Amino acid sequence: MNISLRKQRILYAFIFILPGLLLYLMFVIYPILKAFQMSFYEWSIMPGKPNEWVGIGNYIRAFNDPVVRISLRNTFMYTLVTVTGQLILALIAALLMNYIIRGRTFFRTIYYLPVITSWVVVSLLFKYLFQSPKGVLNHILVNVLHLIAEPIPWLRYPSTAFIPIDALGIWKGIGWGMVIFLAALQTIPNELYEAAAIDGANAWQRLIKITLPLIRPTIVFLLVVLMIGGFNVFISVVLITDGGPLQRTEVILSYMYHQAFDFLDFGYGAAISFFLAAIIITLSFLQIRFLRRPAETS
Amino acid sequence: MNKRKHLTSLITAGLVALALLVAACATPTPQVIEKEVVVEKEVPVTIEVEKVVTAIPLPPAPVTISFWHIYSEAEMKMLEDTLIPQFEAAHPNVTVESVQIPYQEFRRKLLTSIAGGSAPDLIRSDIIWVPEYGAMGALVALDVLMPDFQEYADAVFPGPLETNFANGHYWGLPLDTNNLVMVYNKAMFAAAGISGPPKTIEEFLAACEKIKTLGEGKYCYAKGDTSAWSMNPWIWRFGGDITDPGYTTATGYLNGPQTKAAYEFLKNLIDQGYMHPGILGGGVDEWGGFGNDEIAMIFEGPWFPTIFGAGEYGLALSPAGPGGPASVVGGEDIVMFEQSRHKEEAAEFIRFMLSEDSQVAMASVGQMPVLKTLADPGSPIDLDFYGIFLEQAKTARARTPHPNFTKIEEIYSLAGLSYFLGEKSFDEAFNPAVEKINALLAP
Repeated sequence: MNISLRKQRILYAFIFILPGLLLYLMFVIYPILKAFQMSFYEWSIMPGKPNEWVGIGNYIRAFNDPVVRISLRNTFMYTLVTVTGQLILALIAALLMNYIIRGRTFFRTIYYLPVITSWVVVSLLFKYLFQSPKGVLNHILVNVLHLIAEPIPWLRYPSTAFIPIDALGIWKGIGWGMVIFLAALQTIPNELYEAAAIDGANAWQRLIKITLPLIRPTIVFLLVVLMIGGFNVFISVVLITDGGPLQRTEVILSYMYHQAFDFLDFGYGAAISFFLAAIIITLSFLQIRFLRRPAETS
Repeated sequence: MNKRKHLTSLITAGLVALALLVAACATPTPQVIEKEVVVEKEVPVTIEVEKVVTAIPLPPAPVTISFWHIYSEAEMKMLEDTLIPQFEAAHPNVTVESVQIPYQEFRRKLLTSIAGGSAPDLIRSDIIWVPEYGAMGALVALDVLMPDFQEYADAVFPGPLETNFANGHYWGLPLDTNNLVMVYNKAMFAAAGISGPPKTIEEFLAACEKIKTLGEGKYCYAKGDTSAWSMNPWIWRFGGDITDPGYTTATGYLNGPQTKAAYEFLKNLIDQGYMHPGILGGGVDEWGGFGNDEIAMIFEGPWFPTIFGAGEYGLALSPAGPGGPASVVGGEDIVMFEQSRHKEEAAEFIRFMLSEDSQVAMASVGQMPVLKTLADPGSPIDLDFYGIFLEQAKTARARTPHPNFTKIEEIYSLAGLSYFLGEKSFDEAFNPAVEKINALLAP
């Protein structure tokens, strides 16, 4: 066995990578390719039954489907609102957390709790809070604070039905963004702030001129990751409105799910999911391409 | 997390190495081919062995059949603690695995398992799914598999039996049947000065006007959605229908004047604030509202008394309109999947569940039996309890038994909601819906 040390190391590396690679191929790559294949067929879910080739028929259908358009708009709006909300609130929480010394662990735990709660449980809780006419929130607004005279039917109209869904998305995401921001803030050397203070910079100037530029890579990272998360909104929509009323609160994934699992239109569902995949890949690419400075991309 | 990853990688790497080693050891040696002659001589010995094997009576191999259902807790207790042990005692080699799945999950879970080739042997299916699964090729035609099928078909009520028929075959047998009767809140009726349950839709409307006087947050009626289960009884009460009797067209039925009158009646209930607004979005907790004296009338099946428990309520026939006191037929069929590997044993379990003893046992926990003999006077089931449902059964009808039912229902459910929300007139909502449904009805 005359194998050079270099070859041995490559062999070892390969053996160690192999199991993970196999699992990745089996559970990630294979389903993606399979779904891509399905998107060109009128797919029958019965094993062994023939599937009818429809070419790009499913994609044309998705392009002309008004509900796909509504779902796309809702998904974009959800992403816009929740990513902005999460970024701003997470940054504020992280800045405050960076200043306090006492109780930092306590507050960090409190803020992080929503992140580790189950989507299913909190979605049902939010649905319960926003019930009409006798939900908890309506009760507080009408009977306790007397802010409004009539209970608001939150889940009846798309404009208000997204309030609980957006609120849940933001509330659940702040803690995670905060932890990432906090880590970035702690890498900024104190001398910079001291020098700025000597030059007479106030707190706002220090934030704009020092903090934000220095955590720019973190902001870009969070933006991309949160955006991908936003586009994948699913559980909260299915559990709070299930796309209703009148399919007005459908998002891309919930609509895809209804097509595939309620109406057995697996080919169409697969085509819709590739629609979404194409959008996410394009946007992520553009974000990284234009928001990062050349020095950071390496 | 990382440690576990490392461990998994190590174990898998070890397994891979082991597999390579085994493959290396199994390298065939070419000399073996020359020794074939010896094998030929052994043939008579093989015959002797065969004779010995046939002489020993083989005990039947142990078999497990899976049965998925949506039974309530009380029903499941009866199934698992009484019926399945009886069946297993009579068939010592068979074990029945009972799996309870919530209604909302059932369809998706089942379809995933069919696609994966691991469908259960049997399910207790909502009657409305059977034509779809049958047409899809997922089910076993019981009239082909069971030589004694006709005996069972003759013993059950014809209405529930028909829900199993599609594409020229019977894909199942009815297991239980039900329909909806009116449940009214006696305390609210007394407070509003209503003497008894409304017998006609005019009386129903009059009752609603009186309930309204009880004040804010009091509703005469509630329904959380515009599904076929919720809407069809009203359409039928007004003399309308979804399609023609042969299920070939919806034109003149779903958008006909009687159906329109039914939807207008309900929209008026909503607009006047008689009906709980949850139907417009967000849903409604019907049982909770009924129990808290906020909702005066709901429509429920024979499961209601057993699950809801005692309370100040009465049961009555549905209010009658021009189409009579119509109601909707519900219930479940027992069906077997083509993917089942133990079809004979599964058929035995179907026979067992349709036996008089099993049907009587399930009747004691709220499952309305399907055997004709059990509706006769002197029947061992509680006719006081089932009387009203047996009476309502005379005017209860089935929802469109068609393989495309799920899509058809979605279309008119959405049309109904857009009309109730005031976004479209009845014609604007229902004429396009009828066209879409006609396309789905076409063979």
